[in-house]
Amino acid sequence: MSSPAVTPPVVKAKALHCANCGGPVELRGFGHTLSVVCPQCHAVLDVSTPLVQILQRAQEAQERVHPKIPLGTRGQIENVAWEVIGFQVRQIVVDDVPYSWDEYLLFNPYYGFRYLSEYDGHWNFIRTLPLVPESVAGARPALRLRGVTYKHFQHSNATTTFVLGEFPWRAHRGETAAVDDFIAPPRMLSGERTDGEVVWSLGEYWTGGQIWKAFQLPGRPNPAVGVYANQPSPHHGRAGAMWRLSLWMLAALAAMMFYFTVSARREQVYAERHTFSTGTGGEPSLVTPVFELKGRPSNVELQIRTDLDNNWAYFNLALINQDTGRAWDFGREVSYYHGNDGGESWTEGGQSDSVSIPAIPPGHYYLRIEPEMDSKQASSMSYDVSIRRDVPTYTFFLIAAVLLMIPPIVSTMRVGAFETARWRESDYAPSSGGGE
Amino acid sequence: MRFSPLFLGWGVLVLGMTAMAEYNGWSLARINQVENVPKTVRDNPGAYRSTYGYYNRYIGGK
Repeated sequence: MSSPAVTPPVVKAKALHCANCGGPVELRGFGHTLSVVCPQCHAVLDVSTPLVQILQRAQEAQERVHPKIPLGTRGQIENVAWEVIGFQVRQIVVDDVPYSWDEYLLFNPYYGFRYLSEYDGHWNFIRTLPLVPESVAGARPALRLRGVTYKHFQHSNATTTFVLGEFPWRAHRGETAAVDDFIAPPRMLSGERTDGEVVWSLGEYWTGGQIWKAFQLPGRPNPAVGVYANQPSPHHGRAGAMWRLSLWMLAALAAMMFYFTVSARREQVYAERHTFSTGTGGEPSLVTPVFELKGRPSNVELQIRTDLDNNWAYFNLALINQDTGRAWDFGREVSYYHGNDGGESWTEGGQSDSVSIPAIPPGHYYLRIEPEMDSKQASSMSYDVSIRRDVPTYTFFLIAAVLLMIPPIVSTMRVGAFETARWRESDYAPSSGGGE
Repeated sequence: MRFSPLFLGWGVLVLGMTAMAEYNGWSLARINQVENVPKTVRDNPGAYRSTYGYYNRYIGGK
């Protein structure tokens, strides 16, 4: 790539007169040109012999197509100067819908011919191959070339609908070829079969911006529409990298969880048994003795264990700082039911409950407890209340694990969406049971 | 490997917030803070009115 650009010498183009209209016709392809299109009347001329013959007269109703890169334009691709000497429009019909693309013939006297194709803003720089790719056995046709496997993408019959400039074969409108495309983005391997002969070519994806820069064309290229067969995925490799990074982060999260689990003090500051019954008429609420919470602010876990049996209880609770008058006020319901329904035993709820009270600063505290039970029936229970500070909880670790996995999941979905869009235009579209 | 600095930043933020939440003992429990609870509650617990005193409870059982 660092070698100096190979620029063809500036030579005077050979000129002749059109056998159809008599207008001047220039030849830029030295002795390689076999056919040329008259720029005035669009007649296709056979210039393989000194006696210029008309291969095809232009149809009057033929629509003139103006190439995006004018004939005679020179550009640098892969450090070689190429001159545009021919242009054709080719068409395939899929499900009765015609799809057309442009092909430019490039020439350098030292390197020969190359092609540029353009469809909906997607470009390919194409060279013909002197070798035949190997066939790869598998459920779907595939070829191998220089260690790279190309998957079959599409079979079509292409018809030339417009020609301009000169060609090293007898190009003409209505020329047909059976085309098979195989892809390994950003490359595409194409086999064109005409009259029993197969010509293999290898294309490499280029953006419109790269082509515009290479040929120093004015203005801006049309933006690319959709996803092209061999267009490299902008997400290629990203999902895998994100999953690897996500695994490292999950490992860090697990290490952090281990640290907080083993370093938590789990310091019990209060534990006592109480009883409660309805219908006694007394004040149901009670307060515990004052206990001290030491150290840094931390969570406080309150646990209630009851002997409820097919019954419920509700606890109005308040953890009150005796020094500041600040209270953490909350309620917990405990209910436990069980039975047998049609020979099948069932349980619902549980006899115990716990809650983590957040970020309680150190100080002197007491707990106010106000139990309730069903007042319509005589109920009683005994219950144990215990309070511990600095108890590990795992809710935030679970949330963090989910949050860490969202970006790689989204990235994987975007990769899938891009590949689905790519293969939707193939013979293996997902709707027809194939696809990637 | 295509490195995503945005994702790295997101991961560091998530890990940092998790560490902070765990260190400070944060919780998702539904708990209200009440200021200036009178000291008389200690002697007369019935004088305190809980925020959750009228909680709509589900009476279980099939």
